[in-house]
Parts: sequence; C-alpha cells; structure tokens
Amino acid sequence: MTVLSVRTLLLTLAALSVLLAAAVVFGLGVGSSGLSPGEVWDALRGQAGDGAAADIVLRIRLPRVLLAALVGAALAVAGVSFQALLRNPLADPYILGVSGGAALGGVAMLSFGAALGLGYSAVPPAAFAGAVAATSLLYALAGGRARFSATHLLLTGVVLNAFASALIVFLASVAGFTEGASIFLWLIGSLSGARVELAGWVGGFLALGLAASLPLARGLNALALGEESAEQLGVDVERAKRVLLVATSFMVGAAVSVSGLIGFVGLIVPHLLRLVIGPDHRLLLPAAGLAGAAFLVVCDTLARVVLESRELPVGAVTALVGGPLFLFLLRRHTLGVTR
Amino acid sequence: MRRLPAALALCALAAAAIGAVDPARSAAPSEPASRVVAMNPSLAAMLLAIGARDAVVGVDDYTRGTQPEFADLPAVGGLATPSLERVVALSPDLVVVVPSFEQRDFRAQLREVGIPLLELDPRRFDEVLAALRALGHAVARREQAEARVAAILRARDEVERAVRDLPRPSALLVLQRDPLFVVGRGSFIAEMLESAGARNLGASLDGPYPRVALEWLVTSAPEVLLDSSRDATPAAEYWKRLPSLPAVRADRVVGLSPGTATLPGPWLDRGLWILARALHGDALPESAAP
Repeated sequence: MTVLSVRTLLLTLAALSVLLAAAVVFGLGVGSSGLSPGEVWDALRGQAGDGAAADIVLRIRLPRVLLAALVGAALAVAGVSFQALLRNPLADPYILGVSGGAALGGVAMLSFGAALGLGYSAVPPAAFAGAVAATSLLYALAGGRARFSATHLLLTGVVLNAFASALIVFLASVAGFTEGASIFLWLIGSLSGARVELAGWVGGFLALGLAASLPLARGLNALALGEESAEQLGVDVERAKRVLLVATSFMVGAAVSVSGLIGFVGLIVPHLLRLVIGPDHRLLLPAAGLAGAAFLVVCDTLARVVLESRELPVGAVTALVGGPLFLFLLRRHTLGVTR
Repeated sequence: MRRLPAALALCALAAAAIGAVDPARSAAPSEPASRVVAMNPSLAAMLLAIGARDAVVGVDDYTRGTQPEFADLPAVGGLATPSLERVVALSPDLVVVVPSFEQRDFRAQLREVGIPLLELDPRRFDEVLAALRALGHAVARREQAEARVAAILRARDEVERAVRDLPRPSALLVLQRDPLFVVGRGSFIAEMLESAGARNLGASLDGPYPRVALEWLVTSAPEVLLDSSRDATPAAEYWKRLPSLPAVRADRVVGLSPGTATLPGPWLDRGLWILARALHGDALPESAAP
C-alpha cells in the first residue's frame, strides 16, 4: 500500500473543491433565460426583489444545482464503495437491485398516484420505500448465510433488477399517456422536479453513506488484495460488507428517489479518479464525492441549456458525455479495482 | 436493467412526437354501423354525445375507466396494448380509431381480417367538427352530429363576441407539470385559447404540445396561467412558489379539471366557455355566459 501524505490528500481535495465551486458558478450563471452575471449576483444577494431573476436564480437554478451536487456525490461515492466491496470494476450504484426497487416504487406511484389522489410529491417517498424494500430483500436473500459472497450479492442484485424491470414494463404498458411521459423521464433520470426541501433528505443520507464508508477506507484498500488477505491484515471483512451495503444502499435510494435513474455518474467518476489520483480509498471516497457533484452539476446545466426553451433529461446528458469518455478510457487503460 | 423500460418509454414518446403520419383514411361501409368498437376516449365521447351509445359494443380501457356510460362494455386494451382478438370476438361492423403510431400494426391487422375501419384524427378545431360529422354519418346520427357541430360553432361566435372588447391577457396552458408540457400552436386547444381571448405565449414554440423548461415559463411571464395537469396539488398552491409570475401576483392561476377543456371531444362549446371564464373572470359579461 502506498503512503498517502496529508499534503497530497489536502491538495487533491482542495483542487476538486475548486472544480466543484466552478461548476456551481456555471450552474447558477447559465440558463435558457440569459440573465446577466450582474442580475444573477443581485438575485443571490437577495437584491432582485421579487422579480423574475429571483425566481429563476433562487427557486429554479439553485435547488437544481444543490440537488445535482448532492445526487452526483452520492452516486459517485456509492460507485466507489460497491466497486471495492464487490471487487468488480463494472459495479455501479444500481447493480445490487436498489435502483430496481426504487424505480418500481417511483413508477408505481407515477402510474397510480393520481388515482389515489397523490401528486408528484408522493413519488420520492414511494421510490425510497422501494429502495429500502429491495435492500432488505437483498440482505435477506444474500446475507442469510455466515459469509456474504460477492458473487452471490451480484447475482441476487441482477435478478432483483430484472424482476423489477419486468414489473415496470407491465406498469408502463397499462399507464395512461401522460403517466407514460413521466415514467420515461424518471427512468432516464432528471432533476427537473428539484425542490429545495429535497436537499436535506439527500444530504442526510449522503452524510450517512460517507460516515459509514470513510472509516472503512483502509479496510477497502485491504479488500482489494482479496478477502483472506484483508482478514489477515486485521479487517473485519464481514462487518465492513454489511455496514457498507446497507448505508450505501440507503444513500443510493435517497438519490434515486429524487432524480430517477441517472446513469454513468457512479461508474465513470470512480474510474476517472482512480486513473488520476490512484486507488487509495482514503482519498478516493471524498474525492469521488466532490468530483461526482461537479460532474452532475455541469451535466444538468448542459441539460437545461442545450435546447434553449426546452430541456433534456440529465440522464441523457450523463450517458452522452459519459459513454464515449468511458469507452475511450477503457481502450487506453486497463481498468480494475481488483489488481 | 434500466435499458428495456427506457427504450419502451422512448418508443411511446417518439410515437407521440411523430404522431399520426398516415392521412386519415376512411374505409367506412355505406350501411350504418350498429356494432362499433371505439378505440379512443374522444371518439367514444363523440359517439355518446350524438346519441349512438347503443351502437357501441366495445371501447378501449381508458374510455371504459373514465366514462361511466361505457363501464358495462367489454374493454379491448389500451393505446399501446390493443387486443385484436377481443375486437374480432365482438364481431364489429366498424372500428373507429385514431391513426396513432402505437396502433399501426393493430390497424393493419384489422384491415387484413376485413373489419371496416374509420380513422379519425381530430387535432385542429375543424378536424374535431369533421370527426363529429364523420361519426354521425357512420352510425346514421347525422342530425344529432350536425346539431352538436352547430352548438359548438354558435358557442365560438358567442365567446368571440363576449371577449372582443376585453383586454387579451398573455396566457399559458400547462398540460403537465413535470415534465412540463404546455399548449403550443396548431391544435384545437390553441385555437380555442385564441377564440377565448388569450395571447397564447406557447404559440411561439414549435409543435402543438411542446415540452418547456421551467425557466422559460418564468421568463415568458404569463398574465394568466391555466393548469390542467393531473397532479393532486391545486394549481394556485403549486405555482405560488414562483412569486414573480404575473399570474401568481394577480391571483390569476386557474386550475382546469383535466379533460374538460383539453379533450378534442364533442363538448368544445363548454370548453370555450370554461377557457373564457378562466381567462377573464368577472370581466366576462354576466349575460354572455350560457
């Protein structure tokens, strides 16, 4: 294990913080309405009165930037955790079935909420309930034995996702037309429903996810050498797996519940960072939080502006930007966390 | 796992965007139809309105669930899930259908088994009236259909006269909140907004029902905001979070119950008055309302 100096840690995190700050400035400053920087600044200082600039900056852009940052951070941190935990470079935050459960909960509410007299505001709680249900099921099915096997977890997750997917297709088939558009948007991932109240929710679970994973960073480093080696180094592998699995799943569930299934952030950002700053999880975990936040803020801002009066779902932008980038990197480097 | 449903939903959305590319083709028989299957809620509502309920033997799922008059009829599937077998089992002498992308194969199969099809695509105001007339012709309810058409045209004249001297507020009609869809240009509802005395801000956008960014809505600053989305939160409460909107400040956010004014059905006369009242409120002459 290479030595991680405090200096490297601080410098890297400082650089990524600057990157995130720049992304936030970009996100707040750019939009379809073409406000001048002066107007944006006035609105942020509360000096725009109750004009359109105040609504646009404080009530449309700010909640979205905030939520994009939190969701991006949660997905990237979850990606790092799952890739290490499952010792599989293809793992992303959605691989263990959490997303399937959340999507099923969300889509069910989108399909039937109106009939029950519930609005869009009921979708995030329903999605989170789905995520919790899927996590519990995964834990019961794959964790019922003495040892958690990574393969067992992965296979269970894949099957849970496939099952949820089938139910979603069923719901989408019987849904009305307007519900169909909402379901589509939700499955591709979008922050257009961002409300500032949701930020505390996602922020809380992000804090939980970080609080669970950061103390285990050394353990995750050891896990890269294999479970037996990790245990010989004094890591309580089983405990680490259980804590990480539950905390990370809840964090992903919270992120998905407010934004739908935004792809690629949790896959690309961890791999990009490993290439740039190395595989040490003590640095990788917090760095993924900052870089994931910056990446999603930039992608969501692009989603808001590329079509002028219209808007793209941010999930389409992350895939458009992330897909080719990922393939390019895959060609140039041998990726992997298990080496 | 996310790919399959996303792809399916994408197809549905693409279909909505492309819309019906086929021109309305009519293969209606010369004899009046007495066993009709209606595949669309607007067309079913038209049949009901012209007194042809008795001639209907089957409807699509959505119609059956939303129009109590058809609740006792067999349902034959939804927009994306029509059941050919159920339709054939009803041995209809006419199927009335909107030529949607989703039901393209379904229509081809119906033609193959030799069931007469009447394809109607009521998008613009005149096309709604033409659809009413075509249905009246097909089920031998010409007089009733003409009476309905006349009532709609009369209402349009009356509404246009009633709002002629009133200020024309700039307005947006929201069809869905997230994703945000508004009424654009080139639909019956856009024409009705004009007739009811609105300057429809959505007319500057492409397409009949464009998707817009919330930021665009704030920038366009509508004086009246009409909202016919199906969300449970009342319109006034939902939009007050954007206090810069002139419509919010002037308390001119009006919720329309979904489908009342926004369905291309047989009751456009009612829809016109609903829109006029929503747009002008008390300024509309008391005597003008029916």
